[in-house]
Amino acid sequence: MIGPGYQWLAHLRRSPLLLFVLLYTALSGGPFLWVAVMSLRTTPEIFASPYALPSHLHWEKFADAWTRSNYSTYFWNSTIVVVTAVVLLTVIGAMVAHCLARYHFRGNRVARFVILSGLILPPQLLILSLFQILLEFSLYNTLTGLILVYVAGHLAMTVYILEGFFAQIPQDLFDAARLDGYSDLEIFWRITLPIGAPALFTTVTLNFIILWNEFLYAVVLLTEDDKRTLPLGIMHFMGSHQLDIGMLATGLMIAIAPIILLYGFFSETMIKGMTAGAVR
Amino acid sequence: MGEVALNGLSKRYPGGSDLAVKEVTLTVADGEFMVLLGPSGCGKSSVLRMIAGLEPITAGTVSIDGKVINKVPAKDRDIAMVFQSYALYPHMDVFNNLAFGLRRRSVPRGEIERRVNATAAKLGLAPFLKRKPHALSGGQRQRVALGRAIVREPKVFLFDEPLSNLDAALRVTTRNELIRQQYDIGITTIYVTHDQVEAMTMGHRICIMDKGEVVQIGPPLAVYRDPVNTFVARFLGNPPMNLMRVALETDVGGLRLRLGKTAVPAEPWPADRLGTLGSGALLGIRPEDLYEASPRPGDDSVLPLPATVAAVEPLGAETLLVLTLDGIEEEVIARSGRETRLRPGERATIMLDSAAAQLFDATTKRAIARTPV
Repeated sequence: MIGPGYQWLAHLRRSPLLLFVLLYTALSGGPFLWVAVMSLRTTPEIFASPYALPSHLHWEKFADAWTRSNYSTYFWNSTIVVVTAVVLLTVIGAMVAHCLARYHFRGNRVARFVILSGLILPPQLLILSLFQILLEFSLYNTLTGLILVYVAGHLAMTVYILEGFFAQIPQDLFDAARLDGYSDLEIFWRITLPIGAPALFTTVTLNFIILWNEFLYAVVLLTEDDKRTLPLGIMHFMGSHQLDIGMLATGLMIAIAPIILLYGFFSETMIKGMTAGAVR
Repeated sequence: MGEVALNGLSKRYPGGSDLAVKEVTLTVADGEFMVLLGPSGCGKSSVLRMIAGLEPITAGTVSIDGKVINKVPAKDRDIAMVFQSYALYPHMDVFNNLAFGLRRRSVPRGEIERRVNATAAKLGLAPFLKRKPHALSGGQRQRVALGRAIVREPKVFLFDEPLSNLDAALRVTTRNELIRQQYDIGITTIYVTHDQVEAMTMGHRICIMDKGEVVQIGPPLAVYRDPVNTFVARFLGNPPMNLMRVALETDVGGLRLRLGKTAVPAEPWPADRLGTLGSGALLGIRPEDLYEASPRPGDDSVLPLPATVAAVEPLGAETLLVLTLDGIEEEVIARSGRETRLRPGERATIMLDSAAAQLFDATTKRAIARTPV
């Protein structure tokens, strides 16, 4: 047993870990704080002294970005695209994962391989063919086209996470529900989804964050200004000869606000969902 | 009504070359408590799952009240099952776990509440209705699982080793609880276990299975007393029945079974059947039919056997003696009173009650029936 006199020794032993955590926090949180500070300063102020704290808080920049730079349209477009894609991904992904985890049908392994092979394909590889396909189906430069691309591109990861979790739900629960009189679809709805909620929250949060920030597909598949999503809108503040860094920082803060809110609400559930496989 | 009849029921799992269940035929009468007993992997749970509709049937039929239900989906069979893992829905509280099956059957809300509350009261679950399964003890979870089956008022109850996750003390009380509930409710019950104590104490009849086949069906004591083969003889009873090789010999008194230095009378068994035993026979004797005490005067069926005590195992209520009989290689186990003074290495004379002995064909391992008296 360590006496009170030796507690400093225990603290000393933990200090390298503490140092590492502080360093990591500074590295990851520092740039974020810098952008947050810059979002409240004007571009001349920033160029004069890049790392200074704001002498005056320019909250009006947020209203400017929202109204004068078409940000409301970009925000609305992003919301439509990402919410629809995440809903579709969750519903389709959960159904696919439930089938792969629960039913032993002919071709089960081939189906799993084909779906999960999407994990290993880099988006740069697919973008040309996707561009061509969307053109042929008149979906190029439409939000619907981008939604479909997002759903197709992220289904593999969604199924991968959900299947791992669903496979751990004991078969007896499904058998009990069958004997209680429920059909396969009802069992999916009433047993798999509620029990798999932590994993569903994980995929919803992850997909939302990734798709909200997605740039590559959006920049290739959308060209009209009123169809653009937020990551493209931010580009407005970056001209070929000048950079409005103050407004860029303000735009970035608007763009990441929903992500921070989402993560704040669901981070605990998300971590639970991602580590569920490790603790069993 | 809930008579369950299995006719030639067989099961082959995908990728398996052998049948996991081989032509099982048995009838469980309405209100009967039938126990399927056997070692792990003998196919008893597969039989149960085929009755429930959770496993496709390879061959044969399952009927309830004379109606073949092979093609009827599990949800429409009106069967309730209690699983080894309890299979309680973790996201629902006790009330909803009990009510889940009733809701699907469109039972009116008031009736659901009445039945759930009545079942909870019967099983002592009333104070826990708002708790989730993770906040219950093992025994309480087991009772919720039982309650979920009872509240449905099905035609047939199926139990798949429901007590094996409980500790020894709780298992005894829950076992008695189950017996009482089944007696009160009177619903046809099929209970799978590998625990012979559960089988002996709970079932109206026991169906013993081995390697996918039914070996013997009968009331517990009848099966215990008259096992059809050495598998049943060894599987039922703890310690199991002693099996000792005996040779047939003829002397002036007639046919005898030579057991070491002792000659056991062979009159109880038909002489013509004994004559067909080419490679000899196995004499089976339960540990309680080997004892230390002297026989009552005139009790001719009790034979003294000279032996050496190899080990003494006091169990509290009784003491087990591991013995080496003179002239016999196999060790045998005898039950003795707790006050025995015998110690390892000592010589003893052990009494064998030949009236309780069984004889088995050493080749087929099947029992040789006694001559009807």
